[in-house]
Amino acid sequence: MQTKILLDEEQIPKKWYNVQADLPSPLDPPLHPQTHKPVGPADLSAIFPMELIRQEVTTDRYVDIPEEVREVFRLYRPSPLYRAHRLEKALKTPAKIYYKWEGVSPAGSHKTNTSIPQAYYNMKAGIERIATETGAGQWGSAMSFATMLYDLECTVYMVRSSYTQKPYRKSMMQVWGAECIPSPSTKTKSGQAVLAKDPDTPGALGIAISEAVEDAASHSNTNYALGSVLNHVCLHQTVIGLECREQLASVDAYPDVVIGCVGGGSNFAGISFPFAGDKLVGKHKDVDILGVEPASCPSLTKGLYTYDFGDEAGYTPLMKMFTLGHDFVPPSMHAGGLRYHGDSPIVSRLVHDGVMRAVAYHQSEVFEAAQTFARAEGIIVAPETSHAVKGAIDEALACKKTGEEKTILFNCTGHGNFDMSAYDAFYSGNLVDYEYPDKLIKEALGRIPKIT
Amino acid sequence: MPVIGFLVNPVAGMGGSVGLKGTDGKANEARLLGAVPRAKNRAGITLALLKKIPDLTFLSSGGEMGKAVLEQCGISRYRVVYAARSESTAEDTQEAVRAFIAQGADLILFCGGDGTARDVFAAAGREVPILGIPAGVKMYSAVFAVDPAAAAGVLAGPYGITDGEVVDVDETAYRAGTLATRLYGIARVPAWAGMTQPAKQVFEEADEERAKEEIARFIVEVMLPDTIYILGAGTTTEAIARRLGIKKTLLGVDAVLDGKIVAADADEKTLLSLTGKYPGARIIVSPIGAQGFILGRGSQQISPAVVQNVGVSQVIVIATPHKLRETPELYVDSGDPKIDTGFDASVQVISGYRIAQRKKIHRAL
Repeated sequence: MQTKILLDEEQIPKKWYNVQADLPSPLDPPLHPQTHKPVGPADLSAIFPMELIRQEVTTDRYVDIPEEVREVFRLYRPSPLYRAHRLEKALKTPAKIYYKWEGVSPAGSHKTNTSIPQAYYNMKAGIERIATETGAGQWGSAMSFATMLYDLECTVYMVRSSYTQKPYRKSMMQVWGAECIPSPSTKTKSGQAVLAKDPDTPGALGIAISEAVEDAASHSNTNYALGSVLNHVCLHQTVIGLECREQLASVDAYPDVVIGCVGGGSNFAGISFPFAGDKLVGKHKDVDILGVEPASCPSLTKGLYTYDFGDEAGYTPLMKMFTLGHDFVPPSMHAGGLRYHGDSPIVSRLVHDGVMRAVAYHQSEVFEAAQTFARAEGIIVAPETSHAVKGAIDEALACKKTGEEKTILFNCTGHGNFDMSAYDAFYSGNLVDYEYPDKLIKEALGRIPKIT
Repeated sequence: MPVIGFLVNPVAGMGGSVGLKGTDGKANEARLLGAVPRAKNRAGITLALLKKIPDLTFLSSGGEMGKAVLEQCGISRYRVVYAARSESTAEDTQEAVRAFIAQGADLILFCGGDGTARDVFAAAGREVPILGIPAGVKMYSAVFAVDPAAAAGVLAGPYGITDGEVVDVDETAYRAGTLATRLYGIARVPAWAGMTQPAKQVFEEADEERAKEEIARFIVEVMLPDTIYILGAGTTTEAIARRLGIKKTLLGVDAVLDGKIVAADADEKTLLSLTGKYPGARIIVSPIGAQGFILGRGSQQISPAVVQNVGVSQVIVIATPHKLRETPELYVDSGDPKIDTGFDASVQVISGYRIAQRKKIHRAL
């Protein structure tokens, strides 16, 4: 009974897969925040290296992964694909559950899949310092690790509520030589503006993005790096899905359902885009692709598909995506990495077109699922990951009812070893089931000014 | 050095054990039925714990209303600032509290039930925070610690201040089998929820006022034109009125249309007529009292008939995260089981700007 499906280091993908090549029509372009005209490469060159800008807009089906990046990937890739025999048994489901374990990376999550190439391209472009933000700390630690590899300095603006909640994430960044600042901070104009309005704010990813973008734009040696949402980030994460497809093929399997949790959408993109591509070109028309988001921040299930800013202050280009509004500060739930008002434009487009679908869950039910998973498979997942776990368990339980032997694949994005306080809250009954009051908002939407 | 005004209602709770459903005006009858005073013992538990805090001083009444209990617990750092008559009355409670405040009390710690809470609040108002050691027959008011030891725990550490409704049951009606509560006021009470949490795991809204403003900001954003909004009693609904720039009846029910008050302190008849005239009306209420009643307590003007006119699905429940932490379940007891069972097993409670919490509802049977 094989449990781990492993690939050789030589089988680390040599190319990323770009789903833009297989979209039936091009994506709606990002718009300049002031002029509302489509942005060109020049608009982005103040904060991104040219190669990443090229990757952002390319419609080539494959993009080469530099050998220097694959060399670093050898530290943890290819990551294992597990057959969750014990979970299947615990659930008494006829479904076959597979999970891709991305927690094996040095930073403990899938985020290094893009932080490494991003740091690499910035180093190649002669950049000396990276400014970035982090929600739960996963991305901040992944970027700190990657910048260290290429001798870049790194400043991380960490959402204040997480900074207080997860002090060890900050410690990790320190070990890898990065500077971690709670956001909003007094270092930037956008941070100062938020603090002036509201000194006690818990902060939000949108605010931290504004700070990092401002920092990068105002220092010529500094670039910005984003850990999710953008097309090039989703592109880099496709190593996950590409490996999965190989691993499953080695046991003669192909998923009926592909599941990932969704904050900005990059891990979900990573595991699902290769399969979405198969679906778009008609190779596997029936594959069901499911994004799982928190009920408190349900952009895909309750948001509006429209142009919106990526950050709170409105510095970023306007992107066509599912959004709850860039001024929305999601409640301080434990899955801090999913607290984002919008979603990847590509993921949004695919959900809008019906290629993918989404569900939302309350936090107590996802922790319940994480507990089931930990007691069956051993791994204690991050609160973000527990959403994907919940999605997979519910699919497996549905199979139990129908008797279907579906093959379920989900992205197990990271460990929860720094999130024990969240588990403590779960056990003490102090988890609040936040949700988004969409009915009241939808009724009144006609009166809320549209962004475009 | 914190100064605590300390007061015991010696007869509180006596009616309960002998089936009198409250002791107001019935102390002698209770005694004749064999009831034993228990408030003194309850207060003693709190005092024994407070004794260990060196810098607390007490202001007290003489005799059974305070001095005797303090002495029994071996507390010497107190001053008697009010002399009670032999059988203490509601007037005694109020006079004593006034004397405590005049002498600089930072907080009134009292031992009793809803009746005592009413009397203490009548004198203290919102000037000085109050905290109840539970010893009464009825304790619907949100001013009591969960038990005598918890009351000491609250005072042992730094605490914030929050709102607590003072509600009381009409005892005459209660004895006749009808539960009719009234909202008497909104006291300032120590915020003790944070104290009982094992650790501060999530960055919570530090400030309850801020939470109210965020709720109000959201509600005002989603208010529809040509729609009647019935605002229930309390300071959370008051924040909505403040944001609209209108004056709310704190303890009453107001009706708002297009940002203007169309009926202040409205009675059931007015609400029925308004909701009949304007279809699509909404009711906005906040849980009242320690049990977290969203209907049926404190805002009786919003009667089953009014709710029927509006529809259960159009009731918008709002509450601060602080309030929700203290009330694991909400209660609905509108007076009409058909209305109560019209609610789902859980309800969405607006708790911030575009933020809600899902809370279980306990429906009266």
